[in-house]
Amino acid sequence: MKIKVALGLMLSAATLAAFAGPVEEQIKARQSAYAFLGWNTHLIKSQVSDHPETYNKEKVIAAATVMAAIAKAPLLDLYGPGTDQGTGWKPSHLKADYFQKQDEIRQINDTFAQEAAALQAVATQGEIADIKTQFGKVGAACKSCHDQIRVRD
Amino acid sequence: MNVKVQIWDWPLRLFHWLLVLAVTGAYVSGELGGSLTDWHGRLGSLTLGLLVFRLVWGFIGPKYARFANFFPTLSGLKSYIKGDWRGAGHNPAGALAVLALLTVLGWLVVTGLFANDDIAFEGPLFHLVDKDLSDKLSGWHKRAELPLLLLVGLHVGAIGYYRLVKKVDLLRPMLTGEKQFIKAQAPRPMRGVSPPRFLFSLLIAVLAVWAIQI
Repeated sequence: MKIKVALGLMLSAATLAAFAGPVEEQIKARQSAYAFLGWNTHLIKSQVSDHPETYNKEKVIAAATVMAAIAKAPLLDLYGPGTDQGTGWKPSHLKADYFQKQDEIRQINDTFAQEAAALQAVATQGEIADIKTQFGKVGAACKSCHDQIRVRD
Repeated sequence: MNVKVQIWDWPLRLFHWLLVLAVTGAYVSGELGGSLTDWHGRLGSLTLGLLVFRLVWGFIGPKYARFANFFPTLSGLKSYIKGDWRGAGHNPAGALAVLALLTVLGWLVVTGLFANDDIAFEGPLFHLVDKDLSDKLSGWHKRAELPLLLLVGLHVGAIGYYRLVKKVDLLRPMLTGEKQFIKAQAPRPMRGVSPPRFLFSLLIAVLAVWAIQI
């Protein structure tokens, strides 16, 4: 029994590594996620902040849903060893410090997921002022991570 | 026998204190991010307007506001170090600090216009450059933070040093405009503020802030 569990654990660890793939694939996947995240972020910002006259409840809900889904996805699995060096669609912007700060970053990532889920909830209610406020909280979570582990150009 | 002489004109003092508020607010909102990021942008635009005003005022304002009056020269610095400097406005070392501070703030404003935070904020002129250049300028924007903090620290520290060690109050003159002089050494009072010149400087500043929004 114990052997079976151990074997199962080893197998799932191996599968996880296989899913994460080579360094370039991990970087590509996470860069893609953040690019799409950013596209949706800008959709919301534009409709609740810069051009409120273009506010479209359904589109904001759709964008917030995508943001919440990306925030909830296990993106940190794409931060394997060596992914501070490689190139995906463009060179990795991950600081090597990340590997010493993983616990802290995991907490920020959890906050990010919670705030994004809350954003999805207020988007469904459709009060622009509430969406704007919650959107700011998501942005603050983004920033706290960028400040820690993102290389500046 | 001491006399008080008007040195700092009221637009210059107003500029100074508005700049303190704008830069402090921009620093805090920039650090906190989130919903305050838009305020960071607005305060940056205000800082642009203030700097443009100061630039114009430095050429057409009253005597002690003019760059030509306090532009630091080597001989000025030498006499200041020896303790022989007897001017009334910015002393040569202070003038160096003032110009350095204005330069760093100018750098922050210009890079900020093109910057982005890779979250949801873009400076008002972001669309004029490609993303790679904006990313670089954003990095240089952030890297100017330390020089700014050091210069502000130097500025405030020097005022404290003058107050405590040299027993010279530099703070009150920036509030009232008047400095104390020994009667024999007192400079002639400057001419008052010319309203047309003030309005012209203000107009240029407003135009600059308006221009970046379109």
